[in-house]
Amino acid sequence: MTPSSPTPAATPPAAAVDLSIDLAGLKLANPMMTASGTCGYGYEYADFTDLSRLGAFVTKSITAEARKGNEAYRIVETRGGMLNAIGLANVGLDAFLADKLPQLRKLRATGPRVIVNVAGHSTDDYVKTCARVAAEPDVDAIELNVSCPNVKDGLTFGTDPRLLRELCREVRTAMAKNVRLIVKLSPNVGDIVLTARAAVEGGADVLSMINTYTAMTIDIHKRRPRLANGTGGLSGPAIRPLAVYLLHRVYRHVAREAKVPIIGMGGIQYWQDAAEFLLAGASGLAVGTALFVDPATPVKITEGLAAYLQKQGCKSLREIVGTLALHGEPPVTPYP
Amino acid sequence: MPADQTFFDPAHPRRGRFDARVVFNRMLCREHFLLRLVIDDTGPSFPQTSPGQFIQLGCRTPDGAADIDALLGAEIEWPPGNPGGQAALRQPELCQRLALLRRPFSLAGRGEDDDGVWIEVVHRVVGAGTDWLSRLKPGEAVDLIGPLGNAFTLPEDKHVALLVGGGVGLPPMFYLAEELWRQGWTAVAFVGAMTRDLLAVDLNENVEPDVTGLPKLSARQFARFMFPSVVTTDDGSAGLKGRITAGLEGVLENLPGASAAQAVIFTCGPEPMMHAVAKLAAHHGIDCQVCLEQAMACGMGTCQSCIVKIDPKMFHPERNEPAQGADAVGRPWRFKLACTDGPVFDSKMVVW
Repeated sequence: MTPSSPTPAATPPAAAVDLSIDLAGLKLANPMMTASGTCGYGYEYADFTDLSRLGAFVTKSITAEARKGNEAYRIVETRGGMLNAIGLANVGLDAFLADKLPQLRKLRATGPRVIVNVAGHSTDDYVKTCARVAAEPDVDAIELNVSCPNVKDGLTFGTDPRLLRELCREVRTAMAKNVRLIVKLSPNVGDIVLTARAAVEGGADVLSMINTYTAMTIDIHKRRPRLANGTGGLSGPAIRPLAVYLLHRVYRHVAREAKVPIIGMGGIQYWQDAAEFLLAGASGLAVGTALFVDPATPVKITEGLAAYLQKQGCKSLREIVGTLALHGEPPVTPYP
Repeated sequence: MPADQTFFDPAHPRRGRFDARVVFNRMLCREHFLLRLVIDDTGPSFPQTSPGQFIQLGCRTPDGAADIDALLGAEIEWPPGNPGGQAALRQPELCQRLALLRRPFSLAGRGEDDDGVWIEVVHRVVGAGTDWLSRLKPGEAVDLIGPLGNAFTLPEDKHVALLVGGGVGLPPMFYLAEELWRQGWTAVAFVGAMTRDLLAVDLNENVEPDVTGLPKLSARQFARFMFPSVVTTDDGSAGLKGRITAGLEGVLENLPGASAAQAVIFTCGPEPMMHAVAKLAAHHGIDCQVCLEQAMACGMGTCQSCIVKIDPKMFHPERNEPAQGADAVGRPWRFKLACTDGPVFDSKMVVW
């Protein structure tokens, strides 16, 4: 239990390892991002960590109109996880563009790319919001939230492959071509391969996965759900193995062949967690719930990954993406 | 947040994550502990703090101290002949900590000695995180994020304080008492709990709490500044029997007019108690500042969990923010965050 024992994270990051990634032509200095809804609009964590060391900053979901969100309680901790039902509380598109985006432009000038997460309630709503956001300079990508479990009808687009394909097609057409379209997949589906494929067919440049799992926890004394919304979205270390599994499935059955990069998220707290996602097929990585515990988590993970990759004999992070060999399969090189 | 805020200055943090060590972790009463932490002085200096502010305390061994890499199976040298044990211990899931999120605690005090800056909090064992805290021994490592939130304000034209602290709402009153003493205020503390064994103060051995509700120097945390206390318990096992508001009302009824004009009520505790105190304050025309509490994940304004309903016309009226709803009597409210807009609000702004 001494802080001085040798660990990869303790060794200085090796300059020899290239940590940069390419998300459908969008270059990031490193794979680390903030997961939407856990990092506000840009400046909230400025006192706690060096945000310029992020690969990209992903905003809280923006909707056309401001939303006040759900009543309290909005969060509750469960074993190894966190259940939330915030209800897409946000300042709305106009206030975002006027007050928040200028801050993000300043951040972007220091390195990180800017990804704006957009939510909506109809195709028309999504299209209008995305078109306006994508027309702004310094927005590198839009992440479509088609799977918020905490708003009425929030899951519909994310769970119906046909609707999702059409939505992606319309949004992609309406957006400026140089802005990437990232589609965030919901785990609350029967077979995630179907929605992943639909998103890619509809024109998604990048997939991000996963959003939270719809879940419930009960106050047994009051015999009521502990969240005011009844149900919420489960995040944190508890869902990591579920996320790794779904990501690997989408990588093998959709993304690898279609050459669509995946941003992996779901319970990432340490670099070891992040390495699992890379091996499973993720190119980018997002930290969500762990930011609440330590906003410097992405920076620490970047350092840990650099040392890990060097030990694995990799010259670049891209070499290791998707190199998981299942039992019975020959090992994928490079392999120690 | 100023619009021209510069990003991250590690040398001069206004707030940040700090490593600390336990100085003592003393039981105040059943389930309640007074925890003093000394901030690690090898990093940047701990920022200024004020009563009302809080910290987010990690309720698990900090990553640096736990050697999480070793726990997660990165670089462990195993003795030969124990391959089975190695396989089991290399499972990261078996090394996860009980409490994932930090827990918010109001500052109960702050000072500085030869070992550096120390801060105090009071914690009550209610779950996995606080149970871990209750087992902390002197010298053990913790880490915290802070200081967070706004603080009580001491108006220049007032100098009589009525401190109303119920249960785990008492700690910020300890810190505030010291600041009031420093600024030359006079104060009376109102200390309430369900029963005597849940009173999170040190009772003076030779000054028993008064059963009629007269202020006496009975609670050491306030008596050290010569501030008397009115102690109430729901069952009468210490001091006056009844709610904390009964003690407060008794003093308010007899407050000389000149004192009432110079008085401010500062309160923290369960929401029904604060609501009752706010009503009394309004009835007597006395300013009242409430330190609100709400379940929170981050404490930094990002998770949007710790919502409280505040009248937008009174909270920064110059911003002209629209209401998001109205209560039963039509009073408009807008969600504000206890962590960054509060936790201290003028009681007149709060839509209960």
